[in-house]
Amino acid sequence: MRSAGRRVPVLLVLLSLLLVAADRWWPLTPLRSFGSVVYGPIEDASSAVARWASGGGARERLEAENARLRGELLAARRNAAAPVTGPATGTATGPGPTAGLAGYRVVAAHAIGFGSDQTVTLDVGTGAGVAGDMTVVDRDGLVGRVVRAGPTTSTVRLPTAASASVGARLEGSREVGLVTGVPEKGLLRLSLLNSDAAVRAGDRVVTLGSQGMRPYVPDVPVGVVIKVEGTPGALTRTALVRPFARFTALDLVTVVLSGPDPLPGGEEGPG
Amino acid sequence: MRAALLTVAVVVLAPVFQVMVVNGLGLPGGGPDVVLVAVVALASRPRPPVAALLGFAAGLAADVAPPADHTIGRTALVLCLAAWACARIPARSPSRLNGRLDGRSPEETTRLAAGTAAAVAAVATPLQAALALVLGDASWDAVLHRTPGVLCWTVPAAALVAYAAARLPRARGRRQGYGRRYGRGYDRTLRRHRPWRYGA
Repeated sequence: MRSAGRRVPVLLVLLSLLLVAADRWWPLTPLRSFGSVVYGPIEDASSAVARWASGGGARERLEAENARLRGELLAARRNAAAPVTGPATGTATGPGPTAGLAGYRVVAAHAIGFGSDQTVTLDVGTGAGVAGDMTVVDRDGLVGRVVRAGPTTSTVRLPTAASASVGARLEGSREVGLVTGVPEKGLLRLSLLNSDAAVRAGDRVVTLGSQGMRPYVPDVPVGVVIKVEGTPGALTRTALVRPFARFTALDLVTVVLSGPDPLPGGEEGPG
Repeated sequence: MRAALLTVAVVVLAPVFQVMVVNGLGLPGGGPDVVLVAVVALASRPRPPVAALLGFAAGLAADVAPPADHTIGRTALVLCLAAWACARIPARSPSRLNGRLDGRSPEETTRLAAGTAAAVAAVATPLQAALALVLGDASWDAVLHRTPGVLCWTVPAAALVAYAAARLPRARGRRQGYGRRYGRGYDRTLRRHRPWRYGA
């Protein structure tokens, strides 16, 4: 009895250390999948009950339509931004190469769980077509990217997470940079690659877009510059950005499942 | 049996309560660490090895329940140690009254459980934050910003919940458990001299 009193805790501590070490070197994906298989339905069901109790039964159709319109809006924003490289900026409304462009394929979702690691659970999973590295937006702007999709839930990493970095550009000057998190203030930090780039408080920041629309689709509003940091002549120009989306009060969001066909001569870059 | 089922239910559902209710409220300072509070409150009753297993299971559940995105095993390690300490410290500390392990009144037992839970929570929260830092799950700024708030919620919550849990009536089966630990004769002596330990 006495020896078991020592042996069991020591074994468990060793087992935890083993798990930590294993997860560091070979990510324990099966264990995480198991977690989302077990906990996904619990979280999904309880949030559905909570929504039903608050009288949201008839909202489903409106939410799906809302998501579809958001996808169309994103596509329209992209079409509006793309002709910057083309000749006719003001009159690009005719049946040009962008006219046959379908909108993004999207799905509506709810943020149902908020983690301590700057992550959020959504109530859609692989069953709704969600997979890893998809863009998530809400009515205000970028919410993040899907890092893991379970059968009925998926995990989204917010741009404020320690490990997140989003390729971005200034909406006006199209200067390219990288957005990382400043978690202690709920803000983001934009590092512009061009150290002489003109940036002022009030400039809007949008996503740059990634190869093949994953993990980020282009021209999603990210935030607004509130303060320019650093001194001119530094290696990069940095600025504090207030995100448009309120990460602590997310509810209805939209997951972009796939983008439209890439634009001819499209301006995708690594993100 | 009912206590065991209740414990399992709490361990399984604590991470869900944390991510769906507590973190969604947007409390100033971030809110309490529900899983840690549940573990230190429940761990004073079982024997230390069982408590360690309870803490490990609760920590592992918190590690894999979505949307957790940190290193698996981190919470399991901390909660395993925390639960073991919560079970061991009260069992090893002699009574103020007569210096014996078994000579405590119910009120003293309750207060000891609450104090131990608060102290263990106060150590476990920074330990958790330090591990997050070492393993690269969080940045230095984020940890410094978040930990004090969580500590301010978790320590009082742990004391309150542990106090309440220790006041719950004990199941009959556990009353007769002293024979296994100290021998039957001791159990009989105890029953005669400390009847309150047996619900009399």
